[in-house]
Amino acid sequence: MLKLVNAALVIAVLVSGFALYSLEHRTRGAERDVAKIKREISESREAIKLLNAEWSSLTRPERIQKLAEENLKLQPTSAQQFVSVEDLLVKVPTEVPVKLEEEGKDPIGDILEKMQ
Amino acid sequence: MSAESFELDGPGRIGGQNRVRLLSMFFVFAFMAIAFKLVMITAFKEKEETNPELAAHLSRIPRPDIVDRNGKVLATDIAVASLYADPRKIPDVDEAVELITAALPDVNGKVLRQRLLQPKRAFIWIKRQVSPEERDAVYNLGIPGVGYVNERKRVYPQGRLAAHVVGYVDVDTQGIAGIEKFLDNEGAIYTASLADPETQSAAPAELSIDVRVQHILTDEVSKAITKYKAIAGGGIVMNVETGEILALASLPDFNPNADTKALSKEQQNHMLSGVYELGSVIKAVTFAMAFDYGVINMNSKYDARYPLVIGNARINDYRGQNRVLTVPEIFTNSSNIGTAKMALDVGIERHQEFLRRMGLLDRLETEVPETARPLLPRRWGKLASATIAFGHGFAVQPLQGLAVVAALLNGGKHVPPTFMRRSKEEADVLAQRIVKESTSEKMRELFRLNANIGSASKANVIGYRVGGKTGTAEKVVGGRYSKDKRLTSFIGAFPMERPRYALFVMLDEPKPLPETYGFATSGWNAVPTAGKIIERIAPLLGVEPQFTSEDLAKLEKQAKDKKAKDKRG
Repeated sequence: MLKLVNAALVIAVLVSGFALYSLEHRTRGAERDVAKIKREISESREAIKLLNAEWSSLTRPERIQKLAEENLKLQPTSAQQFVSVEDLLVKVPTEVPVKLEEEGKDPIGDILEKMQ
Repeated sequence: MSAESFELDGPGRIGGQNRVRLLSMFFVFAFMAIAFKLVMITAFKEKEETNPELAAHLSRIPRPDIVDRNGKVLATDIAVASLYADPRKIPDVDEAVELITAALPDVNGKVLRQRLLQPKRAFIWIKRQVSPEERDAVYNLGIPGVGYVNERKRVYPQGRLAAHVVGYVDVDTQGIAGIEKFLDNEGAIYTASLADPETQSAAPAELSIDVRVQHILTDEVSKAITKYKAIAGGGIVMNVETGEILALASLPDFNPNADTKALSKEQQNHMLSGVYELGSVIKAVTFAMAFDYGVINMNSKYDARYPLVIGNARINDYRGQNRVLTVPEIFTNSSNIGTAKMALDVGIERHQEFLRRMGLLDRLETEVPETARPLLPRRWGKLASATIAFGHGFAVQPLQGLAVVAALLNGGKHVPPTFMRRSKEEADVLAQRIVKESTSEKMRELFRLNANIGSASKANVIGYRVGGKTGTAEKVVGGRYSKDKRLTSFIGAFPMERPRYALFVMLDEPKPLPETYGFATSGWNAVPTAGKIIERIAPLLGVEPQFTSEDLAKLEKQAKDKKAKDKRG
């Protein structure tokens, strides 16, 4: 009887020892993962900051102006070039210039149909 | 014998039992101690030992980024490594010094050795802000007591742009100048409100600056300095309703990313820390004062035929009309005689009282700490009052002058200027009425007139309804007014029917050019510069152009002239 109890206890010790060990092992793994993800987050944050700084530096108005002057034929907008919406309304034709539906054509509809 | 043996046996058995009990007690205690330590180790993780000096260095709240009103980064932190050592833990100082100087050739071995030989110190920096390669090189030496920490380094991606406003920090990222200093000192509560200690991060500090406007201002002023061979210059763009400063340029400027920032006298912030006699620009204040006290109206007349004599001083006009002038004529011709007479009619006491109400007698305080106190005459007599009326003998920082003129034009409410973002509602709470609404209306009329037909006509960008006043002050050289060293300025606003933005431009010692017909007064340099700035910033700021029939006729004439010129050319 005493032997049986002893044997059971020994087995219980072994089983609980193994369970404890594997639990510990898994916890360690999870902790490592958390630490790794935390590090990755902070690294990503650093990278975002660095890229933001770089973006800000690359889009300096001074640099954009220099590039525009060298490569584009644009000029500063003069006051006379601004047109109000009311002025635009005058130029809107009363009739639609191209009547696609009457001609039985619908290019965008055709594309959509093709995709289906 | 037997009795003796019994005697011996008895206590002997009892002694044996005690020994076993003692032993088992000892084992129980030993196992308990082991179990206790085991629990301590597994359940309560032991804290890593950190250097207290290092911990203090790392636990600081992160410094907020500085962004402009559209979220563009003006200042941010990037991670860099810094190498440190704990002299107590280094076994062989000589060997360590040899290895470190081999890896980092620019570290002074002698100095390092001395510092490492201080046995009481627990913490010294070997080198701050090193490259990743240098960090790895030293770390791989494997010297005990030598380590690195990831530190933050302040960088200014926009470079020189708005450097005077943003300011800069030292190697410990402590603010030394500009908004950076404000974040550490007066604005510490604001800075703390941005920080989020849970995530160890901070929201960015939003400035009122708009980098696009800032660039245009800097670009045009620097072009003007080159063109007119001026020694310095500057400009400010301010929102008239909220007091927000959209741009503030002071040239020559400096690079905040450079390691050494020993600024020369010319590189100081002319707009805030310099005080200048703004000359005729100040006449606007005198006019507003005379209107506000009801001393003059638009139809009043002043005799400007003869110089004004006070004691043994004579006040002359720069280009005298030598006739009786009406109030608008005094403004557009910038008559010293007329303006001085106006101030004398108001009286010395009321003159002082009015300037105090404008805040022109006190130091203007904004977030940027480098501000200067106005320079006032020591004795305020009749002559001083007369000269102050046209801006002589009275020097203020340009921003202060602009803020007052903005108040005269926006309906009469003074809004303290700010470099931080501010809403209209917040501004309304701070606004203080300093002149009547009707006075402000008259001032707008005069400013607009002066840009249409007066001395500021070269800034009149057709369509944007500009109003302005010019100023040409002779610089004081060796206690006397110099005839050929001038400070020219323009102060104005647009659109004039309901001003939204005020602009100030200043050039220090512009030289006459052949194309300016030998003139170096404001109308020939500061004013056209202001015109160019307005033409570029007005569309950005959403000011809609409007044209009257007169404007259209002017434009047609301009186009014709240009065509004729092209044909001839």
